[in-house]
Amino acid sequence: MSERLTALRETIRQILPQVDGVIGLKTGPAGIVAPYLFKPGHPEMLDSLALWPKEPVPDTLKIIQKAYPNARLAIVCRGCEERGVVEMFKHAQVSLENLTLIGLQCVQEEALFCRCAKPYTVHARVTVGSPIAGVPDPLTEAFAAKSQAEKLAFWKEQFQHCIKCYGCRNICPQCFCNVCALEDEKWVETGRLPLPNPSLYHIIRAMHMTAKCVACRECEETCPAGIPLAIHFRLVARDVKEMFHYETGAVIEQKPPQLLTLEEGDYERSGLP
Amino acid sequence: MYEPKIIGFLCNWCSYRGADTAGMARMKYPPNVKIIRVPCSGRISPELVLRCFREGADGVMVLGCHIGDCHYANGNHRTAKRMAILRQLLEYNGIEAQRLCVDWVSAAEGEKFATLIASFTEQVRQLAPFVEIMQ
Ligand code: SF4
Ligand code: SF4
Ligand code: FES
Repeated sequence: MSERLTALRETIRQILPQVDGVIGLKTGPAGIVAPYLFKPGHPEMLDSLALWPKEPVPDTLKIIQKAYPNARLAIVCRGCEERGVVEMFKHAQVSLENLTLIGLQCVQEEALFCRCAKPYTVHARVTVGSPIAGVPDPLTEAFAAKSQAEKLAFWKEQFQHCIKCYGCRNICPQCFCNVCALEDEKWVETGRLPLPNPSLYHIIRAMHMTAKCVACRECEETCPAGIPLAIHFRLVARDVKEMFHYETGAVIEQKPPQLLTLEEGDYERSGLP
Repeated sequence: MYEPKIIGFLCNWCSYRGADTAGMARMKYPPNVKIIRVPCSGRISPELVLRCFREGADGVMVLGCHIGDCHYANGNHRTAKRMAILRQLLEYNGIEAQRLCVDWVSAAEGEKFATLIASFTEQVRQLAPFVEIMQ
C-alpha cells in the first residue's frame, strides 16, 4: 500500500507544474480522508496524500470544472472513478479537455472490499500500481440464485430499514438531474418512508441508473441502513451488456443506449415478443 | 379464482384502434382490462407502471404500434428498451415479470388484441393478487 502511495506522490509531483491543480485524496487534521485539490505552489501538501477510503472524486471534478471551466486539471482515479468521469462526460457533466487522468490501480483487498469486477483503469495514460483481475461479487451471485419468493423477502427485509435519507442518490456521481423523479409526489410520497415492496423509490432509482451506474458502490458505502444497494445496479448492468452491448465507462465514443433508436439486434435480445 | 385487475396502456395510433376493431367486430374478451389511451407507448414511463402496481393492479399491459410503425417514428423503440429492463427489475424485486405485458397491436389486429387480453388475463389470474405481495 505504502509503495503505491509513494509512487502516486511522485507522479503527482511531476504533473503538478504542468497543471492548475490535481484532484486526489488528503488526510485532514482530524484524520479524515477527503477529496482535495493539490496546487502547484504547495507540493508539501502531498505529505498528507491519501489512498483510502475512496471518495466520489468525479463529483469534485464536476464542481471545480463548473467554477473554473478553463482550468487545466489532473485527477487521481481508480477504475470505478475513471468510468464515472467517462459517463459524466457522455452526459455533458464534465469535460475531458484539459484533463489528465492519473489511473490508480486497486489492490486485491480493495477489490475484495468493493466486490469489484474491474478494479483497474483503461483510459488513463498515466498510471500508478499494477492492474489486477476483477473479483466475483458473492452478494450479487447469492441474490441472483434466490427463488422469486426469497428475492421478495430479501428486499422486504432490507428496504424496511431504509429511512429515505436520499443519501444513495446524493452521493451517486451519476445522479445529476435538476429535477428528480424521487422528489415527485406522484411516485414517492413526501413525508413517508418508501413502502418495502414494491419500493418505488428503489426500483425507480435502479431504473434511472440503467446504463449509467459505474459500479463504484458509493451508494452502498453511504447508506446508514447498510442496504446492499449495488445488487440491483449490477444485475441491471449485466442485462444492459447482454441486450444492448453497452458497458459503462468502457468506450468513450459509444453512446449510452437508453435513448434513441434500437440498434441492430437490440430488439431480438430484449426478450420481448 | 379471483378477477385480476389489469391496467392497459394503449397507444392512440395503433393499439387503441386495434381495440376499436375488436369492438366493432363484436369480439368477446374478458372485461378485466381498464384501458387508458396514450399518445404513444413511448409515453409510458416505468414510474407509471410501478404506480399501477402500487395502487393494487395485478397486471399492466403496454401496447403500441409494431416496431417500425410508430406514429412518432421511434417512440416505441424507447418502450422496447425500457420495458425490457423494467421486466428484469421486477424479477429482481421478486415480482413476476409475467405481470407486465409489452406487445404490439396494429389498428387492423382486432383479433390479436382480443386474444392478447384473454391470454394475459388468464396468465395474471394464475398469480397471487398483487395486494398479497405488497403485504
Ligand atoms: S442511503 Fe440507504 S437509507 Fe438512505 S435513502 Fe438510500 S437506501 Fe434508504
Ligand atoms: S454504484 Fe451506486 S453510487 Fe456508484 S454509480 Fe452505481 S448507483 Fe451510483
Ligand atoms: S404511436 Fe403507437 S407506439 Fe408510438
